Amino acid sequence: MKKFYIIVLTLVVLVAIPFSCKDIISSENLFPLTPGNVDANAGTWKSISLVSNSQIAVPAPAATNSTAYLAELASIKDVQSKLTSDQKNSIAYWSVGGVLRWNQFFRKLVAQFNLPPVPNADGSYSFADAENPFGNPQFPFSNPPYAARAYSYVSVAMYDALKAAWYYKYQYNRPSPYVVDNDIQALMPKVDLPSYPSEEATMSGAAAEMLKVLFPVAVEEITKMAADQRNAVLWSGKATASDIAAGLNLGKAVAGFLTAAGTGRFRTDGMGASIGTPALWQQLADDTKAKEETPWVSLDAPARPPMLPYFGKVKAWNLSPAQIIAERPAPPPSTSSEQMKQELAEVKSFANNLTRSQLAIVHKWADGVGTYTPPGHWNDIAEEYIRDARFSEVRAARAFALLNMAIHDAGVACWDTKYFYFNPRPSQLDPTIKTSTGIPNFPAYTSGHSTFSAAAAVVLSYLFQNSTHYFDSQAREASISRLYGAIHYRADIELGFSHGTKIGSHTVTFAQTDGAN
Amino acid sequence: MFIILFLLASRVSGQTITDHLMMPKKDFCTGFLYTHEQWKDYWEGAEKRDNQNIGIITTSQIMWVGNYGLSDKINLIAMLPYVKTSASGGTLTGLEGIQDLTLAIKYALVEKEISSGTFTAFAILSGSTPLTNYTPDYLPLSIGMASTTVSPRLTVSYKLSSGWYALASGAYVWRSNVSLDRPSYFTDGNIYFTNQVWMPNQFAGFYSFGYNKNALQVELNLTQQNTLGGGDIRKQDMPFVSNRMNAMRLGVLGMYYLPKPKNLALRAQVSYTLNGLNVGQSVAVMAGFLYTFHFGKKENQ
Repeated sequence: MKKFYIIVLTLVVLVAIPFSCKDIISSENLFPLTPGNVDANAGTWKSISLVSNSQIAVPAPAATNSTAYLAELASIKDVQSKLTSDQKNSIAYWSVGGVLRWNQFFRKLVAQFNLPPVPNADGSYSFADAENPFGNPQFPFSNPPYAARAYSYVSVAMYDALKAAWYYKYQYNRPSPYVVDNDIQALMPKVDLPSYPSEEATMSGAAAEMLKVLFPVAVEEITKMAADQRNAVLWSGKATASDIAAGLNLGKAVAGFLTAAGTGRFRTDGMGASIGTPALWQQLADDTKAKEETPWVSLDAPARPPMLPYFGKVKAWNLSPAQIIAERPAPPPSTSSEQMKQELAEVKSFANNLTRSQLAIVHKWADGVGTYTPPGHWNDIAEEYIRDARFSEVRAARAFALLNMAIHDAGVACWDTKYFYFNPRPSQLDPTIKTSTGIPNFPAYTSGHSTFSAAAAVVLSYLFQNSTHYFDSQAREASISRLYGAIHYRADIELGFSHGTKIGSHTVTFAQTDGAN
Repeated sequence: MFIILFLLASRVSGQTITDHLMMPKKDFCTGFLYTHEQWKDYWEGAEKRDNQNIGIITTSQIMWVGNYGLSDKINLIAMLPYVKTSASGGTLTGLEGIQDLTLAIKYALVEKEISSGTFTAFAILSGSTPLTNYTPDYLPLSIGMASTTVSPRLTVSYKLSSGWYALASGAYVWRSNVSLDRPSYFTDGNIYFTNQVWMPNQFAGFYSFGYNKNALQVELNLTQQNTLGGGDIRKQDMPFVSNRMNAMRLGVLGMYYLPKPKNLALRAQVSYTLNGLNVGQSVAVMAGFLYTFHFGKKENQ
């Protein structure tokens, strides 16, 4: 009997070990932000979408000895005297830097809405409709091009708004409440930065207003996120109610400028026409046949309309439409050529002989349905570099704006290429090729992953020059993962990669002359 | 497959880990069981549908089983399956490989004559762990969940001297975190910036009614899996390893010890998923053989 208890005890101990850490899942990898440099001259940097800093007026604040201001200080002291644990958690949550938090949040929204429409009973599909966002399917379907554009607009709006905020901060030079009044505690890291208008409120207004247009179904969550940030900064003693009100107005106005009906860049960039029509889709196939090539067909079952075939006509940030056409990669190997046969054989060889470590690379970079997409993956990669660089909020916003402009431009130029050549996927030419990730519903040439990743790596390499090798190796791994996954030919990934490198360099050219160096 | 592979382990083990039979001291029963399982319809959350992009999912497995009588009251049980998956529709490739090793210790806690039958209670502790580095992040074509589990189980049975019996068994299954090959994932309304996935624990129930006398055993059984947490598969999304995978399966089992060669038993089971959440509605057919070695005594005693 004694033996039995010893066996049981040993078993219990052995099996309990793997469970001892079970609940320690933390996805928190940020820490409180103390910028290395406040970037006092950010007001002089070049805007991306705004015409000038003073384009959106921010009125002069009340003096720090005015009755109104003193009342604001009194209310902060009152709140600080009875902070709840929820309020303290909010302060801690936002202390890591609002720009990083908002970036995490829009990666979440992209993943949440990255679901393709369900086929109808008759095998047709309905499109997500911005005018009926709560319908079935919900709007949006935040696929990679949609996400690329979304990340870029939110990032640009936040950057331009913060840059304008910096301009006004140093025009008015109103100190933080904890500087004016020693009885007010600084519950977020102290930053030697004028507090009017509040940078947190500015970014909350810009980000939330852009996100509400991009993800209208999530309006409640977005509004709460923005309000939570403004509350946290008030409770922390970093900004008063009037600092916050001025920032919120400024941020909202910048988003409003971008999204103004009929005139805003967001409304007039061509996204509305990116789906096309059945007649236009047929034209793409007919044009390809006329060139004596096999046109792409959807491998979804039932066959799905092509994903955003006219996204290649959407306005880019740092390339003109003429540049997009001029830099379009040369044609892929003809579908009837010997080279194509060889490339197809190479894909099949990867499909049939994939190692476990190659499969891990496929899945690391799959970034398919229900994920934050390849553009989100590159924001994820950028996050820790921006965190470790201890960038000021305005410089962090600039980094994400540069990154996401390049990614958007890569998306536009890659989609232009894909639908110009309308080249079939390997499994279309050889149905015996089985893939180890979902097959995307758009033409093969060139690879979106390769183009996005190369462009992103070029921008990140410019921003973080000590890590160039790492960004390049990650981009190359993302690129080759699509060949390993048997969804792309070698030509797709190699020409996509060099195309992406060129596209990224246009954003670097902008960055070199924007005054932030 | 979703859970189904996972279920397979507990289902087949159902006949060693959850049944009312014990190997006598120094007897060793071992064999191979082959299972062929298919489904076309699955539950996306609670909504039943099919999906032409995967067509019919087929899972086959060959499992080695061993059961050793440490004493008349204590049995040690081990199981190890090799699993292969495939999809008839779409382009996704199937996977195959050695899955999870299960080890269990089964103890006959109480054995009591009550009127014309025998009441027995068993305490079982089992654990399983993946033996290979397969991915759990490729559902429904992963070969398993890649989680290490520990489950304490209690089984009670009542068997009449005529051979009829009824049995109920329940286990709480602790499941360890699993690791993905990717740095971030979205499930159950949240995004996670880590490759670690928290796996909700499970309740595993097994209920059977049957006849067992001399060389023959036949039974009707229900296998229940309830996952205590986890998110649903969203519309047109991929399944995820920590989804709330529930299933109730009905099975018919038969086992027969051949007159010759002695000590060789044939075993077969058919089962069908009655209802579920985030799992495929599968039909599974299992067949195999078990051979008993008597190390403690001479043959023919």
